[in-house]
Parts: sequence; C-alpha cells; structure tokens
Amino acid sequence: MKFTWKIGGEAGFGILTSGLVFSKIANRLGYFTFDYIEYPSLIRGGHNALEVVVSDEPIGALKKDIDFLVCLNEDTYKHHKHRLAPQAHVLFDPDEFSPQENNILKISVPFKKILSDLKGQPVMKNTIAMGASLAVLGSDLEILNKIMEDQFLRKGQEIVDFNKKFASLGFDQVKRNFSQHIKTYLQKKESEQKLVISGNDAFCLGAAIADCRLYCAYPMTPSSTVLTTMASWQVKTGMVVRHAEDEISVINTALGSSFAGVRSAVGTSGGGFALMVESVSFAGIAEIPIVIFLAQRAGPATGMPTWTEQGDLLFAVHAGHGEFPKMVFAPGDIEEMLELTAKAFNLADVYQTPVIIMSDMFLSESHKSISKKFIEELIETYKVNRGKTIFTTINKYLRYKLTDDGISPRLIPGAKGHFYQANSYEHIEDGHTTEDAQARKQQVEKRNKKWDTYLTNDFRPPKIFGNIETAEIIFVSWGSNKGPILEAQKILQQNGKETALMHFTHVFPMKREIIVSLFRDNTKRYVLIENNSHAQFGKLLLMETGIELKEKMLKYDGRPFLPEEIVYNLKS
Amino acid sequence: MTSIQDFSGYTPTWCPGCGDWGIGIAIKTAMVQSGLDPSSVMVIFGIGCSGNMNDFLNAYAIHALHGRALPNAIGAKLANHNMPVVAIVGDGDCYGEGGNHFVHACRGNHDITVIVHDNGVYGLTTGQVAPTAQKGFKSKSTPSGIIETPINPLTLALTQGATFVAQTFAGNVNNVIELIKEGMKHKGFSLVNVLQPCVTFNKINTYQYYMQHSYRLPEEHKKENLEEALVKGIEMTTIEKFPLGILYQVQRPTFTDQLSQLQQTTLLERERFQSFENLYADFA
Repeated sequence: MKFTWKIGGEAGFGILTSGLVFSKIANRLGYFTFDYIEYPSLIRGGHNALEVVVSDEPIGALKKDIDFLVCLNEDTYKHHKHRLAPQAHVLFDPDEFSPQENNILKISVPFKKILSDLKGQPVMKNTIAMGASLAVLGSDLEILNKIMEDQFLRKGQEIVDFNKKFASLGFDQVKRNFSQHIKTYLQKKESEQKLVISGNDAFCLGAAIADCRLYCAYPMTPSSTVLTTMASWQVKTGMVVRHAEDEISVINTALGSSFAGVRSAVGTSGGGFALMVESVSFAGIAEIPIVIFLAQRAGPATGMPTWTEQGDLLFAVHAGHGEFPKMVFAPGDIEEMLELTAKAFNLADVYQTPVIIMSDMFLSESHKSISKKFIEELIETYKVNRGKTIFTTINKYLRYKLTDDGISPRLIPGAKGHFYQANSYEHIEDGHTTEDAQARKQQVEKRNKKWDTYLTNDFRPPKIFGNIETAEIIFVSWGSNKGPILEAQKILQQNGKETALMHFTHVFPMKREIIVSLFRDNTKRYVLIENNSHAQFGKLLLMETGIELKEKMLKYDGRPFLPEEIVYNLKS
Repeated sequence: MTSIQDFSGYTPTWCPGCGDWGIGIAIKTAMVQSGLDPSSVMVIFGIGCSGNMNDFLNAYAIHALHGRALPNAIGAKLANHNMPVVAIVGDGDCYGEGGNHFVHACRGNHDITVIVHDNGVYGLTTGQVAPTAQKGFKSKSTPSGIIETPINPLTLALTQGATFVAQTFAGNVNNVIELIKEGMKHKGFSLVNVLQPCVTFNKINTYQYYMQHSYRLPEEHKKENLEEALVKGIEMTTIEKFPLGILYQVQRPTFTDQLSQLQQTTLLERERFQSFENLYADFA
C-alpha cells in the first residue's frame, strides 16, 4: 500500500504545520512517510502545498500520482490536478469552487461555512481538513485529538475542545455524506516506534550527539530551521547558539570558539557560504576544526530560495583560496545525515580542518520516518574522537609540528606553561610567521598529508544498491537523489530491468583506485543523475578519478526527481 | 609575577619611530601589571602592522584574517569566558574591513578588550587611506584627497552600545598602559582607541599633531554620562580636538552573563550533554 495525500492553500495559514501533523499521525498508526513542501519565498499570499507519501514500507521519495488532494482553495486544484490519480479523492469547499473533471471522487466539505458558524480562525480550516482526511482514509480522531491536547493544553481545556470540534465536524461531514468513498488505508497496525524528522532536524540531532557546543548562523533558507531548532534546544543542550550579524562573523565566531577548544559548527546556504569562503581557507592553514552545514537551494545569487538544487558541489569542493585539505560529505537521506554529521565532527577534530556537510532543500526540509532504534543505536555506538587534541603537555609544544600523518597535537588554550598562535600566515612549527622556502614547503606537505591519511583511514566508497555485476544499468549519483533513485529501481525491477545504484556520500576527496575498480566493466550502461545542469559530480568524478560518464540525467527546474520521471527519462 | 620578558616574542619589525613600539610595550606591561602570564590570556590579532605583533607578543593567540579578529574574539570568549580575550587590530582592519563586526560587538557587550592602532593609513600595504583619515587626506589610493569624511570610532562605539570607550595616544606609553589595564578590568565590551602616528606614510597626524590636538579628559568628566561622552567624542570630527582618557564607562551584563547555559561553568569545561531523548520527543 502506498498513497500520496496532498494539502494546499494560501501561504501563511498553517498548511505546513498540518502536513507535519498528518505525517506524525500516519507514523503513530504504524506507517512510513516521506513529505515534501512547496512554498514561495514570502510569508503571505502565495501558494503553499505539502504532500505526504504514506507506505507500508520505508519510503524516501515522492510519487507522481496524487491520491488524496485537499484543496483549501481553488489554486490548489488548478496547480495540482494534472497529477491526480484516476479515482483520486478531491476534498474541496463547494462555496469556493467545484472541480469539473470526471474520473475523480469529489468530496465536498464546507470549510467556510463551518468556520463562520463556529467563529473559527482561518487556520482552523486545516483542522477541519485533517478530520475529513482521516475519515476518508478510514482512521479515527484519537491521535489527532491527542496531538491537539499536547499542543493547546497550556492555553486551557476550552481551546483544546474548540479545536477538537473543527476536527470532528470535518470528520463527520465525510462519514455522513461520503461513506461510499471511504478507504481503509490508515488502520492502526503494529510497527516499531518511529520519528518524523527532516534533514535539518537530523543535522541538529547529529550535532548534539557529537557534542557540538557552539552553533553560529545567519538565517538563510533552507538552512534556517537548523538555527531555530538549535536555539530552541540550547537551554536543554547547553549549546551556545549565536545568530551573528553576517556569515563572515558566523564562521569566524565558530573558528574562535573552536580554537578555544569546543566543537563548533555553522550552517548556511550557497550565498552565505560564499561569504564564509575566505575563512574556510583560514581554517585550512590555521588548522582549526570546523563543521559547515551547506543546504543548497536553486542559485545563482538569490536564485529560487525555497526550491531545491545540487548546484554548489564544485563550489564547496573548491571553496577557499590557496591549497589546503578539506572533506565534503553528501548524505542521501535522514539516516545518513545523522551518521555523517556525527562523523564530520570527529573528522574535523581528527584532521583539524573544515568538513562540509552538503544538503539541499529537498533533503533539508522533507520529513521522513526514521526508526527510533536507529537513533538510539547511533547514540550508543558513537564515540567522541577528538584525535590529537590535548589539554596539557610536558614537552616543548609545537602547534604545527611535522608528523608522518600530517596531523599535529592541538593544545587547547589555557594550558599552563605554554602558548602558541593559530596563524593565518604561513608559519613554522611553533606557529610563528615565516616566508622561508623550506619551512613553507614542509608545512604545505604536512597539510597535504592529511588527505592521504584521510583516504587511508576514513574515506568510504559509494554505497551500492543492487548488484553491479549483474545489473544492466548502473545509476551513479550523490546526495538527496538517493531516495528517488531507489524507488525508480523498484519500478524498473517490476518492468524486468535490473539496475544498481552507486550512491556517493564521501564525495571529496576520493580514493581513485577504489572507485576506478567499480567502473571497470565498460559494457554497462552508466547513468549519471544530478539535480543541476552542469553535471557537477560527473566533473568531480572525472577530476578525481579520470572516469567520464557520458550519459547524464540532469534536472534543474528547482524540483526534486520523481522516481517515475527517472524511469521515463531512461527510455528516451 | 611574570615579567615583560615572558610576553616578549620576536623583535618587532616596525619602522623606527612607529607608534606601535609604544603600544607594544604598553600591552605587555599592562598584561604583567594585570597579573597575567602568556598561558592565561587569549589574544586575537588582525592583519596589518598592528597585527604583526602576533610574533612579538607571547600568548594563546590567533593571527586572524583581515577584519575578522572581533568575531574570533567573541567565539573564543563564548567557549571559555574565564579567560581574558584581547583583540589587537588596526583602524582599517576594525573600522573598515571589519566595521560590521565592530558595530555588533559593541551591541552585544561581549566581554573583550579591543585595542585599535589608529593611524589613518594602511601601513602594511604602503600607505593607502584608512577610514579614520581626515577628509582631503592624500594617499596613493586617493591622490586627489579622500572624499569620505572620517569614521569617528568613539561616537560610533558609544552609540552602538559599548560599555567602555577610551582613547589614548601612543606617544604617552604610561597612559596607554593605564587605559589598557582599565579596559581589561572592565567587564563588557571595551574599546581602547590608540592614536598612533605612522611615521612613514602619514605626514599629517604626527606626534606633534596629536600633541597639539589632543587633551586629557579632566577629573570631573562624568564617564557614566552618555550624552557628555558623545559631546566630547564628536569634537574629534567637528573641531579636531581628541580627548584622551576614559570617555565612557558603565556596567551592564555582558553577553555571556546573559546566557543561562554558561552560569555554572564555561562551555569548554561543562559535562557532555547526553539526555538526547529530551530532544527527539518532539519528533514522535
């Protein structure tokens, strides 16, 4: 069983919140969900929509057809009717409009009338819609009522009851008048405990698990909810969260705190990252650990702030003047976001250099079901590894001591009897500035060695889904395309086509020998899939390994891939 | 007790006669007299002739990017608010490239001491004009004279919320020592703007110029009075009169004073947070 429920209406009236409530209800009933929001870059007046895919099995992608469309206004119907499945349920307010198309199941719910009869606020349309939706899906109001109790109880029982009334009126409307259209999709079933979290939530949780103590940011879609979530947690976690004056201050605040000894991170999107770039280079030469969360949106410049793209990969890889080591990770889903975020903090400390976590609007803002056990196991197995960080030493201390692995002990300021400088200039082993040719060469080589050490100890090759030996088509991709490709593979399997996916998470730097060995069979059809127009990962792969992928499937309209679209494109 | 020698690194490379010599000695002396040693203070240097002090002064230090010393200093203070944090910067560094950071550091009342070497020029890049240069100042980058009027660091800091604003003159090392000590003692954002003759590239604002145009704030100056401080501070712009001394000082909670999570211990020293269930309960 798999269906898509979609709700749309005017921006500013709680569509996104009710979508999340719907996901939570489905999860508590035992199902898996994946959601996706569409909203313009304004607070009021535009069109907002949110869709939730509900499935019996874990799901990480959208599907093309909409099965239940809740129209809080006529725009919703206009914008999304082309995606309606045959016999889709359409909920609408006959006082607003009535769909003309046949081949759909029309369910009229008098949103406006209920609101005015009960003197409700416009935002309560959502509550009516939620009640009506649960009725259509064959569920009840138990969980919705519980959620509203938790949400409104501090405002008093009266408010709770008032909200519940709207839900039950929507519910009853369907039960009474459209019993013939009621499905039995959302019946409670046994399932392990799940959480509904977004990519941004996963970064926050991963950072907390990794003992990140300072987070600094300037709001920028689609990374802003990391800032607000971290800030809302700070009294609990003890983390310091600074909303600084600009992104240059953001990264330099974090570098200051990291220098002083605490795990520190920043988050932004492409434009903000552009402002940080000089300081990424600074972190490289001064060897200060930092984790940078980069949630891409459709650029260039201001671009399309609330839409998705993978347009900043090469920018991230090359960010910073001069030559220094850095690592770039691209999680493909919520689980990988948690794991790689936690890992990134360890590697930033171990290699004393910037580590970038790439996300995008699709991954950052979509919520997905995740098993609670997965998180608990991560917490249990995760070890904070601060590498060669030291708090005291008896030897004469050399901050940039030449070592075989390129990594020098990093003494946290305050240790008695010592001092040193973290220097943005080239320096000798003790940190003092130098322009000496030999010392320069040694320090360059020392920093470069960190890459060799990383490739030996911590690099991971792409994850393979399917069997690359027997598959006829091999998808090559990175980041958030993972979910849609996995779903596409299932469809192709049903169509009798065997495929595999090479999903890259440790995107830079790459270990050439390992990767070349994965591409040795030149009779296969390799298809590069990216959410950008320059095939940036393809270029990176060529640069790092010499492998050139000729067949590309690129999408750059600000929207994520749909599995069906991948299947369709493959034919042409 | 430490000595000046403990704080002394490499021999400075400043031009003979540069005001930075006096400031350099004063900073070390102020640190010694404040009971510090090189292991007990964090110093963040900007880029410029002033920032080059990184190699001449021993401390836990960052030689930052041009303009970015203040956010580094703020971050260091957030991580370990028990250690004094001093930023040593230039006027181009702090009021030009890093002007935005300066304004916001004042607003936040971050407990850092900012010592600005204010010489009106970019010495290290051979004498282009800086934001504090007087209108009409001719330099390599402004051969017909600078069009912009100068930044007034004192009134800027005062109006943006700094809780300690002082000015001194590199030609009077004892006064520089005194004010740096007072600035470091102050809990909150402290600015010590040091008028510093650049003997190589600034032929206007010389030692003689500052001796003629500066004056000691009188004993009766009410340093807790913002209006009075503004009146005195603006005179640099209006009548070329440079007040020396503590122009303004009030007590207000610092940034870290107002973070409940830092009341028991520093961010660096606190126990690791591990009650993760409290976080993901929201996601169920």
